[in-house]
Amino acid sequence: MGTKFNIDRKPVPDEEINSHKDFGELIKTFKKQSIEKARSDTNFLKNKKITYTAIIAGATVLCTVTYFSVFKSKETKQTTYDKITTIPLQTNAQNSKSNKAFIVPPISKLNVPYQKFKLKSEHGATLKTQSNSKIIVPKNAFVNKKGENIIGDVEIQFREFHDQADIIASGIPMKYDSAGIQSHLESAGMIDIKGYQNNEPIFINPKKQITVELQSTQIADKFNMYELDTVAKNWTYLHRDNSLKGLEKQDNTVKENNVTKTIQKQIDAIPPKIEIEKVVYSKKINQLPKANEPTKPSKAIEGRPKFQLDVNAKEFPELATFNNMVFEVGSENKNYNSKLSEITWSSAEISEGSQKGKNYLLTLKLRDRIEKLFVYPALTGKDFDNALKTYDIKYIEYKNVLAKRLADEKRLKEEFEKKQAEYLAEQKKLNDDLIKERIKIRQEQEQQLANQFKSIGNQQRVTRIFQVSNFGIYNSDCPNSMPKGEVLNPLYMVNGTTPLLNLSYSYLICANKNLVYNLNPNEPLRFNPAEKYSMCIIANGKTYLCDHETFANNTSNKQNKISLKEISSEIDNVVDFKKALGI
Amino acid sequence: MLLNAVYYMEFSPRYHHTADMLQTEQHLIEAAKQNPEHFGPLYDKYYKQIFGYVYQRMDCKDTAFDLTSQVFLKALTNIEKYEYKGVPFASWLYRIAHSEVMQSFRTRKNQRTVNADISDLRNICEEVEQEYMEEYKSILMTVIKDLPEEDLQLVELRFFEKRQFKEIAEILNLTETNAKVKLYRILDRVKKTLTKSNKNGN
Repeated sequence: MGTKFNIDRKPVPDEEINSHKDFGELIKTFKKQSIEKARSDTNFLKNKKITYTAIIAGATVLCTVTYFSVFKSKETKQTTYDKITTIPLQTNAQNSKSNKAFIVPPISKLNVPYQKFKLKSEHGATLKTQSNSKIIVPKNAFVNKKGENIIGDVEIQFREFHDQADIIASGIPMKYDSAGIQSHLESAGMIDIKGYQNNEPIFINPKKQITVELQSTQIADKFNMYELDTVAKNWTYLHRDNSLKGLEKQDNTVKENNVTKTIQKQIDAIPPKIEIEKVVYSKKINQLPKANEPTKPSKAIEGRPKFQLDVNAKEFPELATFNNMVFEVGSENKNYNSKLSEITWSSAEISEGSQKGKNYLLTLKLRDRIEKLFVYPALTGKDFDNALKTYDIKYIEYKNVLAKRLADEKRLKEEFEKKQAEYLAEQKKLNDDLIKERIKIRQEQEQQLANQFKSIGNQQRVTRIFQVSNFGIYNSDCPNSMPKGEVLNPLYMVNGTTPLLNLSYSYLICANKNLVYNLNPNEPLRFNPAEKYSMCIIANGKTYLCDHETFANNTSNKQNKISLKEISSEIDNVVDFKKALGI
Repeated sequence: MLLNAVYYMEFSPRYHHTADMLQTEQHLIEAAKQNPEHFGPLYDKYYKQIFGYVYQRMDCKDTAFDLTSQVFLKALTNIEKYEYKGVPFASWLYRIAHSEVMQSFRTRKNQRTVNADISDLRNICEEVEQEYMEEYKSILMTVIKDLPEEDLQLVELRFFEKRQFKEIAEILNLTETNAKVKLYRILDRVKKTLTKSNKNGN
């Protein structure tokens, strides 16, 4: 049967998939199969005929395989009839959305250019980019499409992206989908690296890595490393970016002070107190007088064999109240015969029986002989009547003791729970105090750090290290959720007069972060009034900007008009674009 | 407690596992080795993924559901043999699924099916730097379904299921670079076919 090809098949809804999920059935089948397997294994091994047949069959297969591998040449591949099915498309919208290329520079004539470097693969090299970043290529770092080591000249194409202008110009999507949660990546530096030999793409040797030391102006220590997957159309998280060089890593830990240390000590002291309280509680419960239910006397049955025994009252207090008690041999003792009564046993001991308080185990010993019998305490004649009266009195006493014990238990439990609740409340309060104190310390630390950065100046750079095992696009980023706060349906006005329609791209540029939100031009504009933004709009092949002062003015008065200015169509390089954006 | 904690833990959509998640999954596997009833959270976690993988290669939905049950039955039967090698349990399940699917083509005469979207074909064109044209559709379909099974798997995993190379390498028991190199060779052939058809057309 040939291979069938379906195009745009309708996906199976989750509800349908879930309706087939049946773990109970799986376990049932598994158990059934295990039982059958166990049975068949036993039967199989028992059957000698099967064993011999298996050996003969094995030998036959071996001979056949040998014969074919030695004497038969390769079979010619059969051509089969293949069926092609095309299922109509679901919707045009879905199709048009997915048809768009993944990386599209939005402004024609404008892109971040590649810097090209030539080196000998067998020598390796350290390459320096225009921004003083370094690309460290070890010896024999490349393989060709056959996986063979490459010798000779190779070309490395490299570009780096540092700010919002680079991000917009490159068209590299900064949206990040993690488990269905959409966010935008705030970049601390991004690189795109490729390799070629004679215009053929090459690969990085799996045993080697290229190190890129990227000069970055983002000095914060909150970024992760991502690689762009152009097929899955998403960023792939690699690891935390711990590669900062050139500036001491920010200490994210809160420095404890005397206040937090004292609170922590108090918090630490609470669990032992709770444990001690538990011990005290269980001790008190154990010390409460025990209520032992008296055993109701049984009348001896005539004709049943009996033993007379001296019983230790301390060991069996429930029997202590009865005089002249006898122990009847239970009918379940199949080993009993009348001769056992005639033997003078060297020892006769009783212990608890199968039904606590009702029967006892009588162990009779004579030299090596041991007989065990279940016996039942019983009384005869007046002894039984007296015992019944005594039982009634003891039972009332027992009830009283039991009621008192239950009341005491309840009181102790309430006291215990109240005390525990007090400890837990104290613990919660102390934890809250500790968090508040730590937030205070953190704020102070951040303020100190901000002051330190201010004094350093905004030209401070750090080096971010990318370990590259595959050619592609890498980013040191931090995901940011979509802005929250104000929402408006914007009407973009060119020079305050002409409305702008048919927007191709709409970018909300965060001034305080290296972050660009790629917005859907047809959706309302969401922004945080506390943040500083500018905008870049591309429509009808032209680029328009709204600087952050205009954006703040336009949005503060709750109007929906955003005033834009067209930038010169002659801008064809990123440096001029940066100037236009005010970067 | 552990089982419940994992059961309700939010997992990333398909593959990405942190070290903690791998470790927790390891606890679950050990629990399932001791008692098959503890296999439940793993079954719940991976059922949809495995069904997706199986159905991607089948034409009949019901057969895909049956095979998915077979995969989990086989996994449960053999869980004692499972050894942790630093990769998610999913890779092991995918290998069982692959073997079951292939077995079903041989013994049950089920039909090997390739399922793709037009956008996937466009992606392939984009990867080989060709602008997608309507007439490429049938060419691509023919080229893809004529690929040897191993190559077809690579194309399916990468372009139709959009898996990362790391995951593909683990499912197919290859190194990441090897998977990339092999896929590049396939794409090279695709590119040549498309270029040739373009020339013939012109």
